[in-house]
Amino acid sequence: MRQMLRYATAIALAGSGIATGARAEELVVGAFGGSFADNVKACHVAAFEKATGATVSLKLGNSSQFAAAVRATGGKPDMDIVYIDNSLAAQIHGEKLAETIDRSKLKNAADVIPSAWGKDDAYVVAMVSATALVYNPKLVKTPPTSWLDIADPAFAGKYAIGDITGTSGLHYFLALNRIKGGTLENVDPGIEAIKPIAKGSVVLYTQADQLLSLFEREEIAIAPWYPDRAGVAMDKGLSLAVAYPKEGAVGILPAVIIPKGTPRTALALQFLDQILSAEGQGCFSERAYIGAVNTKVKLSDKVAKIVPNGESLQQAWFIDPEVIARNSAGWTRRWQREVAR
Amino acid sequence: MIRRRHGLLLVAPLGLVLAGFFIAPVLMLVPTSFGEYVPGAGIAKGVWTLENYARIITDDYYREVIWRTLGLGLAVTAACLVLGYPLAYLIARGPERWRVPLILLVIFPMMLNLVVRSFGWIALLANRGLVNNLLMQLGVIATPLKLMFNMTGLMIGLTHIYLPFMVLMLVAAIRNVPRDVEAAAATLGSTRIHVFASVTLPLSAPGILAGSILVFVLTVSALVTPRMLGGPTYKVMATLIYDEYMQLLDWPSGSALSFALTAITLAIIWLSGRVARRWAGQP
Repeated sequence: MRQMLRYATAIALAGSGIATGARAEELVVGAFGGSFADNVKACHVAAFEKATGATVSLKLGNSSQFAAAVRATGGKPDMDIVYIDNSLAAQIHGEKLAETIDRSKLKNAADVIPSAWGKDDAYVVAMVSATALVYNPKLVKTPPTSWLDIADPAFAGKYAIGDITGTSGLHYFLALNRIKGGTLENVDPGIEAIKPIAKGSVVLYTQADQLLSLFEREEIAIAPWYPDRAGVAMDKGLSLAVAYPKEGAVGILPAVIIPKGTPRTALALQFLDQILSAEGQGCFSERAYIGAVNTKVKLSDKVAKIVPNGESLQQAWFIDPEVIARNSAGWTRRWQREVAR
Repeated sequence: MIRRRHGLLLVAPLGLVLAGFFIAPVLMLVPTSFGEYVPGAGIAKGVWTLENYARIITDDYYREVIWRTLGLGLAVTAACLVLGYPLAYLIARGPERWRVPLILLVIFPMMLNLVVRSFGWIALLANRGLVNNLLMQLGVIATPLKLMFNMTGLMIGLTHIYLPFMVLMLVAAIRNVPRDVEAAAATLGSTRIHVFASVTLPLSAPGILAGSILVFVLTVSALVTPRMLGGPTYKVMATLIYDEYMQLLDWPSGSALSFALTAITLAIIWLSGRVARRWAGQP
């Protein structure tokens, strides 16, 4: 018996030794699920694995789950590099849980637009998208031009807006608030304006892809949604079109952070370099219908029609992520009590 | 009789697992629940406050969600009991050859993942789901009935999911009721209904209590089904706690709500235990 125990211990030790040996070359990357993960694999992971010989394992989740995980593992993260919305990146930086990104270690840093760098270089924006209006051109003959068109009686019972816990829901609420004269400090006008709109919404969607079936079955004709999701859906044959409201779309900036305390900072930086490279960015833009932050990327015509660029990019409203991080809990509480109740 | 020392040994494995993986993490949440969350900066260091608990009582939104959760728990428990008792009675007292097929039928839904079962209900209950489509095509209704994101959807989904627990508990209890006692009551002139109401039902009280507690606790703590069928507009405590943790990142508030839920649940279990014992004629 004792012999057996010793034998088992030896195997266990040897096993863990092999396991840690293998893990030393494994980079754990936090990424959003669905087509995003497929595109990360195709555009960022494949080239990185080829160049470094390391392997990548993806951990899937959404931005707030990642923020919660980084806080829970504070200082000993279970991910080495994480894709995360810039407001939650700002939150993580506020909690001092993000590693400062050393630009001098990145070959492609000089090609990245300066505004992509977050406060104190704690995060870097990796792509540009937006919340805009998506509609079904079979049902909507004149393209919508304003955020207020959602409330047009012609669309009564034929639209859906997002819950505030999703990016598009928050963005539509803030855009409406701004049109109605509110500010980021005072969202009363927005709350008043969105109450009836939320009541009339077919559903308050919490997952972006919930809209796919609603558009497909023609349960809705219009929704504030993401051009990138719409682009991918169009490729799959859905009848959709993207309209940028004249008041400006609301910018979405998925960023990348390196959680503080990872032992694989150097490898994480190499991965980040791949994300920011012209190939990595161009590949992702074409596959995912998302804008790039690398100035050397040239978009194809098909993609340029959908992603925010040129005029639509200039008009877009990029909300200070620090302000969102500070206020989103308060806004969500008001939304729960006054809008979604 | 098992001796005390042996009894302790028998529960030791489970006790250790519970202590290590349940009680210890829960206790670690106690300090968090008295912390203060500063949006944008995280949980403030060295600040202690009762605010998180006070808010549960003073905020009428939280109160509404708590009452809704308890109401839902009681309603689902009652529905499971009403639907489950006849079925359990049939399984326990019906023909022997029906027993195994019937029990299998009861257990069968539990072999499917919870998410899949809840998703099935979405396919049935959605605005353009099977039920509404059928009713509209038959001309019974003109606009879809609202079956989701409200009490109706949650009641249907949760009752379906927790019915097996109730039935299995009741089958064991009803089988434990001695037939001699029922026969004695019958020979003394009781009608069948009277025998059932004054003998079988009270004697199966332990099963009713165990099943009810199980279903109630599972219902008030259910997360997946309420998230899918209740959506963002119809929140219960579990989904609210999830949101406080995962969406608002306000762990102190989430922890305080978790402890409130635990306390309320324990109080109700204790109370129902007393009531049931009295009903079964024990002190």
